[in-house]
Amino acid sequence: MTVVIQADNLTKYYGSTRGIENLSLQVEAGEIFGFLGPNGAGKTTTIRLALDFIRPTTGSLQVLGLDPRRDVQEVHRRVGYLPSELALYDGLTGGEFLRYFASLRGGVDWRFVDELVERLGAGLSQPMRALSTGNKHKIGLIEAFMHRPELLILDEPTSGLDPLIRQEFQQLVSEARDRGQTIFLSSHVLPEVERVCDRVGIVRDGTLVAVEHVGALKARALRRLEIHFATPVPAEAFAGLPGVRDVTVEDSAVRCEVTGTVDAVIKAAAQFEVVNVVSHEPSLEEVFLAYYEGGDEHAQ
Amino acid sequence: MLSSILLKTLRDQRRSLTWWALGLVALAIVTMLFYPSLQDSPAFDQMAKEMPEALMRAFWGDIADFTSPAGFLNRQLFVLVVPLLFMVLAVSRGSGAIAGEEEKGTLDLLLSSPVRRRRILTEKFAAMVAAIAAVGVVLWLGMVVGAMLVDMDISVWRIGEATLSGALLGLTFGAVALAVGSATGKRGLSMGVTSALGVTAYFVNALAPLVESIAGLQKLSPFYYYIGGDPLTNGLNLAHGGVLIALTAVAVAVALVAFERRDIAV
Repeated sequence: MTVVIQADNLTKYYGSTRGIENLSLQVEAGEIFGFLGPNGAGKTTTIRLALDFIRPTTGSLQVLGLDPRRDVQEVHRRVGYLPSELALYDGLTGGEFLRYFASLRGGVDWRFVDELVERLGAGLSQPMRALSTGNKHKIGLIEAFMHRPELLILDEPTSGLDPLIRQEFQQLVSEARDRGQTIFLSSHVLPEVERVCDRVGIVRDGTLVAVEHVGALKARALRRLEIHFATPVPAEAFAGLPGVRDVTVEDSAVRCEVTGTVDAVIKAAAQFEVVNVVSHEPSLEEVFLAYYEGGDEHAQ
Repeated sequence: MLSSILLKTLRDQRRSLTWWALGLVALAIVTMLFYPSLQDSPAFDQMAKEMPEALMRAFWGDIADFTSPAGFLNRQLFVLVVPLLFMVLAVSRGSGAIAGEEEKGTLDLLLSSPVRRRRILTEKFAAMVAAIAAVGVVLWLGMVVGAMLVDMDISVWRIGEATLSGALLGLTFGAVALAVGSATGKRGLSMGVTSALGVTAYFVNALAPLVESIAGLQKLSPFYYYIGGDPLTNGLNLAHGGVLIALTAVAVAVALVAFERRDIAV
């Protein structure tokens, strides 16, 4: 397996402020790797190190087997990048912007650009100062994808997109992976990472705390479930189910927390008349909580 | 116009440079049109001699005769107005070149393209040189046309050499602004520091002959190398021009090294 991004004990301090600390990471060729963490955890710092916008305090980093600083041109030729705080040239139209960056890359296949424009529904003729955040974001995505880079580094790629375009984006990312491209994307939203990624690295306070396949992460995820029944139900029916805890029964409603699959609860509920089931997606903090608690269980 | 960073940078300035050109042509011609009325009043010479010398020097320079073509042009344009305009033009370009894009946030994408930092900076500098050169040529042509309109007895080539000297002065401060902006990523800081340096340099050169305590500092001021040799009368002093070009080269070298080494702000 070829390693596309290799970070070893990577540390970056801005003066005395921590960016990341002893972060080690391997992203493999042909995978969609999600870099998940709350804002300020060090996701953008890691990405900016990989692109040589900033330099590590200590530790080492290789991108596509190259040194981001020494081989900066070669790395940038083979990488597509979407910044999280996307700023485009207000005075240019989307088309002019893309032509400018295409020419800095020595030209790209314009038919592919046209295809991306059509699929994302981007407008190329207006000056970018007149575009909404979402429409600017599309231009930024096209810029990142247009030269079919070996590695796509996308910092919070879906934050400004509406749901339909988000789906199209997920499609684009999967197609890119199928073509053999590697995608490294950061996010602070778990469901998004779950939908798109193969593997997820969880970063917290500047350190990578876990790397999991999405399936394993889901199995550990904590969900809050609320089931409403037509008639009051006995509490005993929901006691002692595997992976289920904090069960409260109030008349005709059951609330509980479930780790992993909800199968046992649903089957227990099926013997009564169910009116409604509400499932709350776990927040990032709850995922961390589940992860750490899970770690304790293994230790015991 | 979008095939390189140099051309894109000039394209971004196309409106602003057009206004600069129109304004400078108007300034040059209107100034020239005042010449005939002054020429006929030798009383001005007398008046000038009675002014306090420090005030004279501070704003009109070391101008012996007041009503000759060279004396008139130096006083009206070359002592203060021309260098000031070149400096404003160059410093705004120089400070915005890197720091402007960094503050707007567009530098990230530009840096993510397969273009080295030193190439970005070199092309931005080239765009500044081109802008100064274009504005300089337009200003020169404006003065030439104005001089012809009022039948002024002065060499158009000398006007050109004095204008070139002013352009080199502007370039020097523009390069300093580029260096401060590239090293810090802060546009306002770059403009402020460079403007303060420019004002100081101006007064050191203007007042050094009168104030003993700063007399030795005159040759440290780029203004001395701009106008100390009176290029309008004597032509461009090559050694003086060389000093300005050397200062520019040093500032650009500092900009290259500092920009290459530092972290780019988010």
